[in-house]
Amino acid sequence: MTEVAVKVDRLEKDLGSNKVLRGISFEAHSGEIFGLLGPNGAGKTTTLRVICTLLSPDAGSVGVLGFDTQVAPQEVRRRVGVVTAEFGVYPRLSARENIAYFAELSGVLDGEVGRKVDAVIDRLDMGSFAKLRAETLSSGQKQKVAIARAIVHDPPVLMFDEPTSNLDVLASREIRQFMVESKGRGKCVIFSTHVLHDAERLCDRVTIIHQGRVVASGSTAEVRGGFQDLEDSFLSLVEAAK
Amino acid sequence: MSSLAIVFRKEIREILRDRRTLIAIGLAVLATPTVLFVISQVSTRTATQTYTAGYSGDIPAGLDVLFGATGLRLERVDDPAAAAKRQVDIGLVFTPAGIDEYYDPSRQSAQIADIRVQTILAKYDAAKIAASLQQKGVDPSVLNPLPVSVHPLSSPVKAAGNSFLSFFLPYILITMSLTGGLSAALDTSAGERERRTLESLLLTPAPRGQVLIGKLLAVSLLSLVAAIAAIGSMLIALSQISFGLSGGEDARVSLTPLAAAVMVWLAVLLAASFSSLTIALGTLARNFRQGQAYATPLYFITIFPASIVLFIPDFNPSLAYYLIPILNAVLVLRDAIMHNGVAWGPLIVTSASLLLTGGLCFYAALRLFTREALLVRS
Repeated sequence: MTEVAVKVDRLEKDLGSNKVLRGISFEAHSGEIFGLLGPNGAGKTTTLRVICTLLSPDAGSVGVLGFDTQVAPQEVRRRVGVVTAEFGVYPRLSARENIAYFAELSGVLDGEVGRKVDAVIDRLDMGSFAKLRAETLSSGQKQKVAIARAIVHDPPVLMFDEPTSNLDVLASREIRQFMVESKGRGKCVIFSTHVLHDAERLCDRVTIIHQGRVVASGSTAEVRGGFQDLEDSFLSLVEAAK
Repeated sequence: MSSLAIVFRKEIREILRDRRTLIAIGLAVLATPTVLFVISQVSTRTATQTYTAGYSGDIPAGLDVLFGATGLRLERVDDPAAAAKRQVDIGLVFTPAGIDEYYDPSRQSAQIADIRVQTILAKYDAAKIAASLQQKGVDPSVLNPLPVSVHPLSSPVKAAGNSFLSFFLPYILITMSLTGGLSAALDTSAGERERRTLESLLLTPAPRGQVLIGKLLAVSLLSLVAAIAAIGSMLIALSQISFGLSGGEDARVSLTPLAAAVMVWLAVLLAASFSSLTIALGTLARNFRQGQAYATPLYFITIFPASIVLFIPDFNPSLAYYLIPILNAVLVLRDAIMHNGVAWGPLIVTSASLLLTGGLCFYAALRLFTREALLVRS
């Protein structure tokens, strides 16, 4: 069994009067793509925000590579990279400057910044627009900048929150390829999506959450069970949970 | 490099690439000298302009010479009262019994012509009386039994200049300290939320306090540069132009080194306080436009203290008044300019008040910056 990279244990979270998470538990391992699935409003994004320390849990705990998010949030942030559908960039900085800024803030050593930024630009094939100001880039190019800044410090845990929802077919495929490649490098990839077709193709294991609760968890094949595909299984589980 | 320095350098780089901010500051720097130049031209022209006096009747001997020397041109008209309405600046009817004067007080040129006529006639009367007394063997000084010799302890022209500066300079300092960095402050706070970069920034391991201080220092530096540049351009303009205030003495205005030092210190405190305040307001806003709406009342709040010196020039408050932010800076700077001295008590109270205000605003900004409810809203 591979190393447990992210351990979520009986996590609860309220946002205002809304009880968003009601005791979520799961584990994600290094070297796998772990799918966090559920309909819109199920609590996927809130779960990821707690894992990456943007929000604090009301009850339960979250550990990332042995570091508790409440006790050592900065250590957790050093080890996590997050890509979301909202790929905001600094418009008056070039793509390269955007990435270098996050590399420096993420603790990459001064002498290493240039080399690491160049490496990630090569890896994501961004050379043609690296020196252009971000305000002139296309959506796909901006998404690449967002990915680059999330991985430039080489974090062992990568989280993708609906990363393809604003992208065209070609850009979406590149993101999927990147997730597979990251898994091959031994990263723990957590993929949050409501697009079950993508999840079925990519994920080794999945957890389905609905209304803040886990309704199914296991390998993709286990969760699919006797159904034709994950979507049928998902609909059946959600219906049963009502 | 520390997170603070990384954020500061990035913010400065973005500010220097933001044409909107740079153009606004450039215009502000140019606006003050332009306005002063126009005022100077108007006041100089008013002082040297010749006005027309329409008259009828016979002018007493010698009076016409005085008119010519005082910038009043005499022009014979049929009806001076009617002519004074439009044709000439003032109408005079010379009769054996005296002079009838007609002028329209609603016309500025008529007011100036009236003052000149009164001055001429006072001198003419005094000269005629003195001549008559001398003719009769009487010393003319009997008309002035208690002569007064005035000995100003400082230049009256300089005092007038300082009075002008004591209003104008605090006004420029405060408005530029606020507006110079406003756009950058909103961009680095509300803009961060609007661009959807805030989450990514907070996901880095950089301590959030350092991130906010880096932003604060960048905005404060911009405010400070804007304020000092605007005041510098104003002082340069004032050193080059004259307002025609005096009859011979050079009416140029300048700032003493002591007043300049006080001004720079106050500019630093004001820039830091305003930057903290505007970043806090920007952090509360969902986007740049909403941040502007939140910041708009600040314009009015800051204008009132800056105007108090204009409306109450002799306002001499107790030390407690120096606890009021902005007003205290205006008063300290006014005193430094007018009296060329610093009262340490008010300066210390003012500094403490502004530092406390800035500190409270920074604390509010830090709390808002990481508040979960605002993050989720974004």
